[in-house]
Amino acid sequence: MELSGTSQKTITAREAGLVACTRCARAWPLGTPVCGRCGAKLVSRKENSLQRVWALWIVGLICYFPANLYPMLLTRQLFTETDSTIISGAVDLAHHGAFGIAAIILIASVVIPLGKFWAIAFLAVSVRKQGGIASHRRLLMFEVVEYIGRWSMIDIFVVAILSALVQIKGLVTINPGPAAFFFALSVIFTMLSAQAFDPRMIWDAQDNDNEVPDHG
Amino acid sequence: MADTPPKVEIQSTKKAWLSGASFIWIIPMLALVVAFGVAWQSYASRGPLIVVEFSDGAGITAGETALKYRDVEVGIVENVTFTGDLSRVEAHIRLQKNVAEYIDESSVFWIVQPEVTAQGITGLSTVLSGVYIEGSWDNEIGPDADRFKGSDVAPLIKPGGSGLQIAFRTTTNGTLTDNAPIMFRGIQVGQVGRAQIARSGAFAISEGLIYEEHRNLISSSTRFWDTSGFSFSVGPTGAEIDFSSLATLIGGGITFDTFVSGGAPARDGQVFEVFGEKEAARNSLFTTSEVDPLRMSVIFDENVSGLSVGAPVELSGFRIGSVESLSGIVDVAKFGDSRVRLNVILSIQPSRLGLQDDVSADGALALMKDRVVNGLRARLASASLLTGGLKVELLEVEDAPAAELTANGLDLPIMPTTESLTSDAAATVEGVFTRINNLPIEELLNSAINVMNSAEMLMSNGDLQKVPGDVSTLLKDISEIVTSDDVQNIPVALNATLMRVEGLVAELEKQRIAETLGKTLTAAAEAADAVTSSVEGVPELIAELQTVADKAATLEFDVLIQELTSLTSSAEALISSPETAQLPVALAGALDQLNATLKELREGGAVQNVNLTLASARNAADSIAVSARDLPQMITRLNALFVQAGQTIDGYNKGDQLSRAAEAALRDIQQAAGALEKLARTIERNPNSLLLGR
Repeated sequence: MELSGTSQKTITAREAGLVACTRCARAWPLGTPVCGRCGAKLVSRKENSLQRVWALWIVGLICYFPANLYPMLLTRQLFTETDSTIISGAVDLAHHGAFGIAAIILIASVVIPLGKFWAIAFLAVSVRKQGGIASHRRLLMFEVVEYIGRWSMIDIFVVAILSALVQIKGLVTINPGPAAFFFALSVIFTMLSAQAFDPRMIWDAQDNDNEVPDHG
Repeated sequence: MADTPPKVEIQSTKKAWLSGASFIWIIPMLALVVAFGVAWQSYASRGPLIVVEFSDGAGITAGETALKYRDVEVGIVENVTFTGDLSRVEAHIRLQKNVAEYIDESSVFWIVQPEVTAQGITGLSTVLSGVYIEGSWDNEIGPDADRFKGSDVAPLIKPGGSGLQIAFRTTTNGTLTDNAPIMFRGIQVGQVGRAQIARSGAFAISEGLIYEEHRNLISSSTRFWDTSGFSFSVGPTGAEIDFSSLATLIGGGITFDTFVSGGAPARDGQVFEVFGEKEAARNSLFTTSEVDPLRMSVIFDENVSGLSVGAPVELSGFRIGSVESLSGIVDVAKFGDSRVRLNVILSIQPSRLGLQDDVSADGALALMKDRVVNGLRARLASASLLTGGLKVELLEVEDAPAAELTANGLDLPIMPTTESLTSDAAATVEGVFTRINNLPIEELLNSAINVMNSAEMLMSNGDLQKVPGDVSTLLKDISEIVTSDDVQNIPVALNATLMRVEGLVAELEKQRIAETLGKTLTAAAEAADAVTSSVEGVPELIAELQTVADKAATLEFDVLIQELTSLTSSAEALISSPETAQLPVALAGALDQLNATLKELREGGAVQNVNLTLASARNAADSIAVSARDLPQMITRLNALFVQAGQTIDGYNKGDQLSRAAEAALRDIQQAAGALEKLARTIERNPNSLLLGR
């Protein structure tokens, strides 16, 4: 019933003078410093959450450019040496007919990271400025982003596994290229960025929506 | 909860703009700094871009093909384009910054690709990895350059490379093989580069490299020769095949030796000649002086038939060098037409010019330049009037049109020429030769050959060989005739005839028949008249016989033999003359005729004629015995007989005996005639005596 009530105002914990433990979910009176049950530090709102989100988001974006420009894989076959970036690797695979794998790589390495960037940025902006999407939907988006973020590392795993397995000296060796490092950094920073986001702010934004007209 | 919380003082203090910022912003700041740092570093470490032109791409790939220096990658091809006219390929190479400054004008670039030669296989690694561009430059920073012309093959002498860099030049008949190894005692100590024909076309030149560690093997007195191919000889020790190595057999090669000690160490850039074989190389050391000859080119417009390689080059009659080579030259730009001129390369020995201090080709060239300004010119002159050979003469011409000895770069200096001296003398000689040429020597020779052949035929001719035999048979025949019974019988027969006449007359005296006597007397009277008239012819007959005898006496066999001897000697003399050819026939004919004459003489019965005549005389005597009337006729016939005999003897060459016998016979006849006269007179005077038998 709460989910359906987009127009209905959701009372936040802070408004109710409570603070919930994010680890064990026990609610304490506002101002309680430490959770009496699990000992976790209790904070009603993460400090500088948005700043951290944006800072880490920017670092992730910075790392994302070299991750796509530099080669991901360095393949040395007998006498030839080839290096491929993420996109050129996927294009090569598609050329060889492996459309499925190409699609996986493209989705995991290009679509999802870009979607994450967009999603985090959207959420970070939306807590300041109320958009058209309902708060519950934004929360869902945040959960999906946080859940799916780790799967972006699939590319890094592929590179790591290939590099570890294909080391036949003289015949074929595969080494990670600089892009792998940057891609990993990019994924890590976006994940940190997503974690830095305090989803409770979504509901504050709802308050703002309501309050701003009042103040005005 | 009951207490309302105290009113919170909201201080609208002006915070510093960073005070509310989280420390987290340090992370993106750092990331940005690092990113910009990396970007700036990679941009700053980017070397300059150079463009190298190649005649073809040979597998150069943009972004992959590396530029290597000493087999280390120092650059990468970023782009491959064509030149404006599509004639060449341009490779745009991004250099690494650490080597970029060394790449200056003297740098060379070439494409390394797999190559299989007689000496081995190179660039094998590029079969799979693809070609790469190798560059070479020295360790000095020179003037900047960003466009280069790449070569398709690796240069032998690389800038900054070690080793003795020399040049090779072929001798007149020598050859040079591209990239041939230079062997010494079976070890490769160097390599010949790409051979090229010199611009003058007279010889081939090539650069050569002696590896650094073998540098001291070469001195100025070292001589190189060609060892390519193999030599095969069959001698007293058996067949011998000789070649240095399989590589030189296939790809050619040169080797060297220093036959004499004391040469100066070879310098970079020194030019060595490659001789055809070891002997020539060794000989060259002793025949030429140690100074390199000055080589000059002379271009003649006129006909130079007679000028040959090795012809002398003389200065004021003193030989200072020789003609090294001859070749045609067409240079429309220089001469204005496309006539073929003759390019003569002179090799002048500086030591013969009497230079005081600088006895070298350069010194000689300086001297020549100076003299040319003062009118020194080259011309052709006859070296020998007889052979028509030419030589090149250098002489100072007064009022010669201004000219100078031009020497630019690799080309040989060109010596100006003046009018040649060959025209008059050569023309005279040529005239003589033309005349000699026009002589029908061939026909003469042919005739001589014919004469010889004929003489030989004559000598071997059966007819001529039969001549002595013929002559001897002739003589034999003659002696046979002379000694023949028939001839010897002539006097006997005459004697017999006379005796029978005497007998007849005696018988007539005895017969006294009256009846017949009357008739006989009248007949005798008539006969006597006839006899008288007949007798008148007797002295003539005698004279005639005398001449016959004389002739017979004068005509001796010696003369005949002499004549025959002279005939033979003239025949001998004529053997060397063309007419001799016809001699055998003529001579044989003559001899045949002679033989035939003799045969006729012998067989045709001249002697028998005499005999027959004598027989006829006998018959006449018989007739006289029958009738006295026949006597005058008989005398007439005798007369005729003797005329005939005289003629016959005239045809002969009789011996003394015959003439004596004839004389005796004539005397007898005379006596007989006298007796007859007496008888006739007696009968006239005293006809009775005939009747009375007294």
